[in-house]
This record gives sequence, structure tokens and C-alpha cells, in this order.
Amino acid sequence: MSATRVLGWLAVAGLGAGLVMAFGVAPREITQGNVQRIMYVHVPAVWVAYLAFLVVCGASVVYLVRRSATADTLAAACTEVGVLFLGINIVTGAIWGKPTWGAWWTWDARLTSVSVVFLMYVGYLLLRRMTDDPERGARLSAVLGVLAAPSIYLVHTSVYWWRTLHQPPSLLKAGSATMPAVFWLAILVNFVAFALLAAHFVGRRVRLLAREREAHA
Amino acid sequence: MTAFARRAWLVLRKDVVSERRSKETLNALVFFALLLLFVFQFSLGDDRDRLAAALPGLLWLGFVLSGILGVSRAFLVERENDCWEGLVLAPGDKSSIYLGKVAGALVLMLLVEGLLLLLFAVFFNVDLGARLPGLAAVLALGTVGFAAVGALFSAMTAHVRARELLFPVLLLPVLVPVLLGGVKATEAVLAGEPLGAVAHWLKLLAAADVIYLTVGVLTFDAVLES
Amino acid sequence: MPDNWSYVVAAWAIAAAALAGYWRYLARRERALEGAGRPAPRRAGEAPSRPPAAGAAPGGPAARP
Repeated sequence: MSATRVLGWLAVAGLGAGLVMAFGVAPREITQGNVQRIMYVHVPAVWVAYLAFLVVCGASVVYLVRRSATADTLAAACTEVGVLFLGINIVTGAIWGKPTWGAWWTWDARLTSVSVVFLMYVGYLLLRRMTDDPERGARLSAVLGVLAAPSIYLVHTSVYWWRTLHQPPSLLKAGSATMPAVFWLAILVNFVAFALLAAHFVGRRVRLLAREREAHA
Repeated sequence: MTAFARRAWLVLRKDVVSERRSKETLNALVFFALLLLFVFQFSLGDDRDRLAAALPGLLWLGFVLSGILGVSRAFLVERENDCWEGLVLAPGDKSSIYLGKVAGALVLMLLVEGLLLLLFAVFFNVDLGARLPGLAAVLALGTVGFAAVGALFSAMTAHVRARELLFPVLLLPVLVPVLLGGVKATEAVLAGEPLGAVAHWLKLLAAADVIYLTVGVLTFDAVLES
Repeated sequence: MPDNWSYVVAAWAIAAAALAGYWRYLARRERALEGAGRPAPRRAGEAPSRPPAAGAAPGGPAARP
């Protein structure tokens, strides 16, 4: 059984454990009620996504230096998977926000920053799709992959300052920062499960890209 | 002057001279800026206080929209005139070409921004006189960032399908920090606050400028292959 | 505070649907690759200098599966 398939089965097990943690083990949160359970999807998803984007940056640098096809397929696959999980983070964040804050979208610092980052990496995928020559597509998206990573920091900082300076402190309480240990454990278990699933997806996508490239060579 | 700097200067001079002769881009941008003024007025205008409150944002909206139109052409002209291969085959470090293009974009944007400031002052009755030094600093920092990313993406999208669409689609998310910093700092300057009050924004803009220019210089060779 | 279970279910369901959707997308393309086997014979007869078709760009997602 290949490593990717092992990851897949581990991911399924992890997801099962994650569900148990999120709905069985973790208690009902006092202030928010059971709506808080959305966090067990929402938070792990963004961690996995940003981890993926970190890999994209590294793979892009490797591609620019060595022009290795593996680095390119890794970057492309990780961007796809990262965008997938980030989308999940954004949508679940909005769904959590509606009963909590009364509106689907409040332009809070975190969701807004994440959405801008989402748009950046969707741009990466569009760039690859719109470039006819595969080698040029790989080169250009690698440059974008390198630029996007520090931009994540700039976006988060600027949006955070934009929203929270001169804002009343109540807006800062977007999801409890001080949670008891069992909540963090549930988030951690789901994070591991999502990470395993993401790795499985990346493995399959990389293999797919490589074989498609061979088939059309 | 080192060979590197001279190459960058030559690229800048070539663009400035050809623009001075044809005046294509600048003329169109001037009229575009004028039109924007009317668009802003019609979209927001009746309430003078609302317009005044939105002024920093409108100013930067004007810069960004004009910039998207103007800077996207930075490498399009090379492609249109079959100069792309010439740039690719040019000896030496390609990043000198990048910096020359950034300088050109910077000159163009600063001209348009100066014009927009003038138009805003006249049409929206804003007293900018005392604020000019502060504004100049903020605009300079923000425009360098814009030019740095704009020149890079202009080269990147030159050979891509739907480039007129992909250029702003790629540019705008990356430009968010510059936009936020620019608007916030401009707000403070127009409100009469000292630049020190927005030092953190200015530092962010400066950091963005350094990051964008560095990435551009380091990666431009990869962008400018045939 | 009401528990808003419908929101919780909606969030988890959408996440599951997105992940399952991507899983199926991968499976579909893998099957297409198995099914295609070697490229169609008439392609081989074309002039070798012809660049691969635009849809063959391997980097793009879901490029006309």
C-alpha cells in the first residue's frame, strides 16, 4: 500500500476521532452554546491551509532555483488543497458568525484577512490555468508563490490594525482565546485529522499531475 | 554608474522618451482621472460631508484604478512592439530591467496622483496646501509598493490569456496592505495629525515596499524568459 | 443561549461536502487517466512541432476533465 493510501486510511480514522471529540467529548461551551462546536472545523481548517501555503512557498523557491518538476507539482497541489481548506474555514466562519454576531459577514479582522489570502491563492490557480505553456505556467506561479507568503503577513497585520485600532474592545473577542484544555484537544485532534487528509489529497494530486504530464508529453 | 544601474536607467529613459513622443498612456490616464472625479461625484456626491469623510478612500480608489490601467501597460508595450525577445536576450542581470520598469511605473503613477490631488482640491474644494509634505511622504511610500508589484505582475501577465482581467485580479489582493496603509495614513494627514501618529502604518508601507522590491529583483529572471 | 444546531450541522455538512467533492474530483481524474491509456492514434500523425493543446497544461485544476 502506497504512502498516500496509508495517509488516507489514517485520515479517515482521524476524522472519526475528530468527530467523536467534537461532539462526544468536548462539552457544551458556556457562553456560546453548541454553536461553538463549529470551531472544531473552522480552526483546524485554517491551520492546515496555512501549512499548505508554507509548503507552496518552499516548493516555489525550490522550483525557481532548481527547476524541478516535482517542486512545481507539489506547489500546485498544495495550493489547491490549501484553497480548499481555506474556503471551508471562511464558510464555516460565516456560518458561526450569523448566530453569534447576528450577521453573516461583519468584516472582522480574521475572516477578512483570510479572505484576501484566499483570493491571492485563487489567483495563483487562475494564473496556472490561463497560461498555455506549462513551463511558463510553472515559472510564473512559482514567482507568485514566493510573493504570496510574506504578503500573508502583511495582509493580516494591515487588516488587523485597520479593524482593531480605535475599535471598541468587544470586537476583539472573536472566539475565545482562553479555552479549557479539552477544547484545545478537540481542535488538535481535528487538526491532525485534517492534516492527514490534506497530505493524502496532495499525494494523490501530485501523482495525478505527474501522470497527466507524462500522458501528454 | 554601475552597469546594472545604467541598464535600469536606460530602460526608464526609453519608456519616458517613447511616452513623451506618443503620449498615449498619459493622455488617456489624464482623461480617465477627470472622468473618475465625475463618477465619484455622481456615486457619492450630494452629501458634502459624506464625500469629505470618504475623501482619503476616494483618493486611493482613484490611484488604484488609474494605476491598474496605467501600469498594466508597462510590459504590454514591449510585447506589442515585439521587444519582448530583445529584453529576454539582453545580457546581464534582468532585474535591472525590472527596476527600470518600476521606476517608470513610479513616475507615471506619481504624475497621475499629483493630477488627482489637484483635481480633488479644485472640484471637491479641499485645502491641501498645508498637508502636502505629509501627503507626499504617504503617497511616495504607497506608490513605490504599487509600482513594485505592478511592474512584476505586468510582466507576468504579458503572455497569459485574459491578461487585462488577470492583472487586476492578481494585483488587488496583494495590494490590500498598501491600500489600507495608504488610506489610513492619508486620513490622518488630511485630519491634520502629525505623521508620527501613523508611524506604524508608514513602517508597514516601507516593509511592504522592501518585500515587494526584493522579491521582484530576485525572481525577475524567471519571469522574463521567453 | 439557543444552541443553533442547524448552524452546526450546516457548517459540518458543507465542510464534509467540500472534502468529499474534492475526493471525487481526484477519483474522477484518476479514472480518466486509467481509461485513456495511451493517446489516440491520430494524434501521432500530426506534425511533431505542434505544441500540446492548451487543455494539456498539467498545472491547472479541472482543465476540461
